[in-house]
Amino acid sequence: MDRKSNTGAAAEAAFSPAAGMGRLFRWLSEKNKRYGAEWWIMIAGILIIALIVFAAVCPTVFTKFDPLDQNAGTQLGAPNAEHLFGTDNLSRDIFSRMMYGSRTILGVAIAAALVSSLIGIPLGLLSGFIGGWFDKTLSLVMDSLYSFPGLILAISFAAMLGPGVINITVAVAVIYIPTYFRLVRGQTLTIKEELYVEAARAIGAKRSMILFKYIFPNVIATVVVVFSLNIADAIMTEAALSYIGLGLPGSIPDWGMDLSMGKKFLPSGVWWMITFPGVMIMILALGFTMLGEGLAEILNPKLLEK
Amino acid sequence: MKRLSLVLLVLFMTVSVGIVAAAPKTLVYGTTDKVSDMDTANAYDIHTWDVFQNIDKGLLAYEPGTTKIIPALASAFTVNDKGDEFTFTLRPGLKFTDGTPFDASVMKWSIDRVVALKGDPSWLISDYVKEVTVKDPLTVVFTLKQPCAFFPTLIATPTYFPLNPNDFPADKIIKDISELKSGSLSGLGPYKLTSFKRDEEAVFEANPAFYGPKPDVGRIIIRYFADATTMRLAFEKGEIDLVYKSLNPSDIKDLSANKKYVTNRLPGPQIRYLCFETSQSIFKDKVLRQAIAALVNRPEIIQKVYLGQNSPLYSMVANGMIYQTQDFKTVFGDGNVALANKLLAKAGYTAQKPFAFDLWYTPSHYGDTEVNMAEVMKAQLEKSPAIKVTLKSAEWATYKDNWHKKVMPAFLLGWYPDYVDPDDYTAAFAGTSGSEGMGIYFSDKKWDDLFTIEQGSPKDSVRKDVFVKVQKMWTDEVMTVPIWQGDMYIFTKPNVSGVKLGPTLIFNYSELKLK
Amino acid sequence: MKNLLKYIVSRVLLTIPMLFILLSLVFVVLRVMPGDPVSAMLGDHAPAHVIREKQLELGLDKPIFVQYLNYLGQIARFDLGESMVYKQRVVDTMKDKLPATVELTVIAMIFTLLIGIPLGAFAASKRRSARDFGIRLYGNIVYCIPVYWMGLMLQLLFGIFLNWLPIAGRTSARTFVTDFARSNFYIIDTIVAGNWAALGDVLIHIFLPSLTLGITLSGVFLRLTRANMLDTLKSDYVLAARARGIPEKHVVYRHALKNAFIPILTMLGLQFATLLAGAILTESTFSWPGIGRLLLERIYLRDYPVIQGVIVVYALLVSLISMLVDIIYAFIDPRVKY
Repeated sequence: MDRKSNTGAAAEAAFSPAAGMGRLFRWLSEKNKRYGAEWWIMIAGILIIALIVFAAVCPTVFTKFDPLDQNAGTQLGAPNAEHLFGTDNLSRDIFSRMMYGSRTILGVAIAAALVSSLIGIPLGLLSGFIGGWFDKTLSLVMDSLYSFPGLILAISFAAMLGPGVINITVAVAVIYIPTYFRLVRGQTLTIKEELYVEAARAIGAKRSMILFKYIFPNVIATVVVVFSLNIADAIMTEAALSYIGLGLPGSIPDWGMDLSMGKKFLPSGVWWMITFPGVMIMILALGFTMLGEGLAEILNPKLLEK
Repeated sequence: MKRLSLVLLVLFMTVSVGIVAAAPKTLVYGTTDKVSDMDTANAYDIHTWDVFQNIDKGLLAYEPGTTKIIPALASAFTVNDKGDEFTFTLRPGLKFTDGTPFDASVMKWSIDRVVALKGDPSWLISDYVKEVTVKDPLTVVFTLKQPCAFFPTLIATPTYFPLNPNDFPADKIIKDISELKSGSLSGLGPYKLTSFKRDEEAVFEANPAFYGPKPDVGRIIIRYFADATTMRLAFEKGEIDLVYKSLNPSDIKDLSANKKYVTNRLPGPQIRYLCFETSQSIFKDKVLRQAIAALVNRPEIIQKVYLGQNSPLYSMVANGMIYQTQDFKTVFGDGNVALANKLLAKAGYTAQKPFAFDLWYTPSHYGDTEVNMAEVMKAQLEKSPAIKVTLKSAEWATYKDNWHKKVMPAFLLGWYPDYVDPDDYTAAFAGTSGSEGMGIYFSDKKWDDLFTIEQGSPKDSVRKDVFVKVQKMWTDEVMTVPIWQGDMYIFTKPNVSGVKLGPTLIFNYSELKLK
Repeated sequence: MKNLLKYIVSRVLLTIPMLFILLSLVFVVLRVMPGDPVSAMLGDHAPAHVIREKQLELGLDKPIFVQYLNYLGQIARFDLGESMVYKQRVVDTMKDKLPATVELTVIAMIFTLLIGIPLGAFAASKRRSARDFGIRLYGNIVYCIPVYWMGLMLQLLFGIFLNWLPIAGRTSARTFVTDFARSNFYIIDTIVAGNWAALGDVLIHIFLPSLTLGITLSGVFLRLTRANMLDTLKSDYVLAARARGIPEKHVVYRHALKNAFIPILTMLGLQFATLLAGAILTESTFSWPGIGRLLLERIYLRDYPVIQGVIVVYALLVSLISMLVDIIYAFIDPRVKY
């Protein structure tokens, strides 16, 4: 305990608060000059994500209620000081369900984006690099999937797999594979023709070497941007699947499902059951979109203009 | 001149009154139900059966609003001593709308057609009826495969209704009335269906050829709604005069509280219960099934999930039905944690070593309140520290598949009876063949014998003994736990009266009155 | 002209492999799904032998590969088959649902363009101002609003609290559709029938769902219009126009906007798929009787032929629109060679 505060004091001595703030301010204003609004958009996105991730990791900091407690308040109670977001038809605290529910949606969206990028990126690299009939066939398949409304595919998969956290992750992941594939393949094709790659080939570099040392690093910058936007999209898809009843079985707090539960109380004027889950979905998706947009502008201003 | 105009005025008024009087009284009725096939050979759902109950009649019928069987197209019937031969005497002079006379041969043609086409409900005939014979134009004889005490209730189901042989094709099931030769669907009932647009609207008009009294409301229009919310709002805007099936609990609560509308709350025949897979699952041990039965808290489920609607059910035999006893109430009560803990301890489960199992539900087949019902039950069961429940769900098609594959140890189901008799609420779950079809897989010769006795005996005292005994035994075997019985709600504008809907759930439009 | 025809033919041929791939995928996905349409349709009480007979009748006992080949043969004959759950041809099932979806998406697209393009152009003309920033923020936010939630909020506001607009269905219960429905495009039908009261009813019902769908997509068009306008505003002829003293408003909205139109048109084709996906959710929120709702309903029942039929129709719609856009594009942009 003592040692801890000692190190704290030492750190403070090295970076006095005033100097630290000043440095931070200078750094921020420099970035502001360089990137303008995009910089602030990205910072706002990161703050939103950080806050919700924090809520997902330690929900007890924000709420004392158990999201499954069916005696948390009155049945269909309107928001008040104790229940900030009100209570639902089973007398559960909605604020607490939002905090715990962030785990589900964040987990599914991030896992889905990871899975689809881990499949889409290598396929895109290979397809663009190898070319030939392999590339042609794979491109045709991916283009077909890409041009088709993704949600409809996700619905089919989710219905096939049935409710469950892993199942819904797979259903969401499937529809984003073509996104990564197309992006990476396109970039690979361009980079393949660049002079330095030609040069490497001319001096007899191995194919795998060219792929990993020259092409992959150049592709990855764009992938980071798309990854962030992809999570935003996956959040919307997960919520949509839950909303139409293809998400998770009961007893797991989930924003989309809470929203669909509230739907039938709409004519009775119970606005809090639908308002708050929707706001949460929107804010979280917005966080990742803002992060992605900011990153895009900073890493590659031309990317999103197209 | 003045006199002439007066005469003209009077004339005009007479004519206009005449025209107004000629336009039939019209009632718009809203529902979220759907019509399946406009053919008794394949229709097998409550709403389509309702349509047939109104445009056609059986040899026997239910007195509106009751379970009493009364003569309809048959004026009388006799049973032989063994109970496997029913002879019906037909009402003379009956005709279909197009003039085709109704006689014994039409009856035989209709029954044979349903059997031959092998549609979904055809087993309701083919499993019971060996043969139909025409004795003379006004006498028809049903010979059964085995004695059947409840055969009159079967005769009153639409599958047994006569159809017009000049209108219906003999060799194929029809879907829409446009496939009929006459283009409108008419039988021997008080109404005929004159126009039908699937999922949109159906128009019924009084059938001039009907043998009974003319209905007060000459024209009934059914509007089909895609969901309850829309229907409720349309009713509140005054676009429809009557709503029946199915509103959300929240809608029912709001509409009941509104003095502008008339609320008709009636006990319905639908029951909800928890099933156990008894042959090989973790619930093979009946002590565990008893423990679950003790933990279920019916009033709480009804209050939390259904906002106080529906009625607790303490027997598989529905409330208000003959021979019903309340054994689950006396033996287990509601939310009896102490008893459950004792039973669980007997089976070797404690808080340290809890009994864990999957509780299954299906999220849309019984309405979207189902997930709430499962969540509340999970909380109730886990009141015992020796229980750990995981909720699982599957859509209806998968759910049915699952129970045939014995995947689900405990699962929520609901039941609408085919015929209103305690037999259909008991043998269907505890008899070997019925139980297999429900995914319960309970089989015991002792039980099967009891059902055979009850099914074969027309005597009231014999059947009563059996059903009282069976309900008592149920609390020991607990292959299912009865939970609640559905209440039906019909809301009308104040100018509508004559809503009669009994345990049979048959909605007779001809009883409606419009001021 | 001959070239254009050749181009159209090759475009049509290109949709065939796409359809084939999608169909195969959906077919496999559907058939490995647990669940059986027969026991779902026969109710709770059917004895096992009845279920078995029905499965044989529908050919569900055959190996999946055989079922697949049969189905492909059927599709090649332009036959979508018959529903397994209700005795109805798939085409008939969709006959009145498809027009509902098309009507909804077309009106929504009009809303999208009406909101997105002017806002985008305006933002571009005020680049880096507070208004520009505000409009772009709007674009980002609406893109992240779940379409069904926006629908619910609009329902709550306009349907419940203010009670101004109907929130579900295509017509009110007192409008009898059998009086006018012919093509099932109700807007067209009511105009043809001259039934103005019904037309009013139809329009007031389509307003909220199509507005909802339109708003959520307007962000994409806003951004696109803005980006393209920024490019064109920098181009030589705009500079020239400015130099000649043409008022700035004219420069922006007449000259520059016109030129930004071609990429917008391309985007229209690409975004149509997004619109259709959004339409499923909108249909389910507004009880709109379109093919999206049909799909959801039948997925629960495992009604294979109808699900496959709806997927085919979606795929056809998407390729049809992108083809149309390509062709129009080829017409208005002389640089494109077929």
